[in-house]
Amino acid sequence: MKPLNLIALLLFLGGAVWALTRSERTVREIQNAYYQAITPFLKSGSQLETRARLFTKETRHSKELEAELEATREQLGRLKLIEARFRELEYENVQLRHALDFKQTTRFDVVAARVIRRNPTTWWQTVEIDAGSKHGIGTQLAVLSNEGLVGKIDRVDNSGDRASVLLLTDEKCQVSARVEGSPEVGILSGQRGGFDGDPMLRLRFLSPNAAVRNGQRVFSTGRGGIFQPNILLGTIHSVEKGALDSEALVRPSVNFADLGAVFVVLSADS
Amino acid sequence: MIRYSFITILLLLAAFVVQQFLPAFTGLHHSRILLVQLVFLCCAVTVGQPTMLLLAFMGGFLWDAQCALGPHGGDPEVYTQQVENLRFGYSILLFGGMGVLMQGIQPLFKQGKWHFSALLTGIAVLLYLAAEYTIINFIRGEFVLNPATMRQMAWTAFLTMLFSPLVFWMLFRVANLCDHSINPEAGRKRRRPR
Repeated sequence: MKPLNLIALLLFLGGAVWALTRSERTVREIQNAYYQAITPFLKSGSQLETRARLFTKETRHSKELEAELEATREQLGRLKLIEARFRELEYENVQLRHALDFKQTTRFDVVAARVIRRNPTTWWQTVEIDAGSKHGIGTQLAVLSNEGLVGKIDRVDNSGDRASVLLLTDEKCQVSARVEGSPEVGILSGQRGGFDGDPMLRLRFLSPNAAVRNGQRVFSTGRGGIFQPNILLGTIHSVEKGALDSEALVRPSVNFADLGAVFVVLSADS
Repeated sequence: MIRYSFITILLLLAAFVVQQFLPAFTGLHHSRILLVQLVFLCCAVTVGQPTMLLLAFMGGFLWDAQCALGPHGGDPEVYTQQVENLRFGYSILLFGGMGVLMQGIQPLFKQGKWHFSALLTGIAVLLYLAAEYTIINFIRGEFVLNPATMRQMAWTAFLTMLFSPLVFWMLFRVANLCDHSINPEAGRKRRRPR
């Protein structure tokens, strides 16, 4: 081997080891610098993607109608969320008044955002939204749609008007979940390589004789510090019982193929 | 030679920008054109080992900066079995491996048989994706390989390979502009009197 090649190889290996031993914080700083550098291109890239998507829709609707519909959907979704939350609070309030005479104050503040980019990476199931730190968004916040839980914020750009959402269908997005009408609780997550067709979620660590049946709804428990309680996650599709624990396949309540407007929950429930 | 090497670095950086405009083809099993990997592979066969390694380092480093996921978050007492992240920098080694593979058929490329290199880009991308997926399985445990994932990898490799002649054509043009020959033996054969 030529001396120059040997030196280059040693430098390459040294550089690789250096990169592999970076801390989580340094990696985040590197990522922020990278995204800051390509932000102007990302903006035009996502604009192009949004335009292309709108163009296909325009075969059925005019542009004005489309924008109006989108705004109405956004508003409807927001109102549905608020309504659901109020109903839940009302019920909770009545229960608490009767049982404990306990008064609870709850803040539920959401920011509406549009999905501007889908699946930018090969293996992770993520989308990018057009809201960021300028709107008060930080990492590890729950993201909802009017149908249920979408995922959580994974990264916020330094530019302040973009953020990346790790979808519930990704294996890395884990949610503490409970099955409606049963004492069963488990951890819900996406499946590896589940891109094609209808994505299914895995509800693991249920008890061996879990009394759950198809069609039962699955909600978040609120444990774990990221997701608020009672967010709809999906419905039980099938149950597989094991010797030590049971596992259920859950059909997500959100249609991830048609994600348009989402809501980031800013304030955690107390 | 230096000018050409410098331009390959710029091309790789430009590929990162163009990659942002290339969405996944949802109708084709969520496959995509991996332009960054393609430009790197095509450049790797036309440059010397030190430049290839520099390109591999840059490509892998920036690719990981683009794709790395954040920490799990949440209460570890509730999420006891957290899903592991891939270590930042693993792509540098994968890019290096692909570059070595491409340089293996550099003698053929120098003879003017760039078609083999074009074919090898598809194979290299397939191997790259397979290696990446294997690492994910190894780190996260529980080997899962379904037909959908295999189709996604195969289509991605195929679609990426389709664009390799275009990248090679661009590299030939750049080499001409830089007064540098990336396949000198083919040039000598053409000039040899009959």
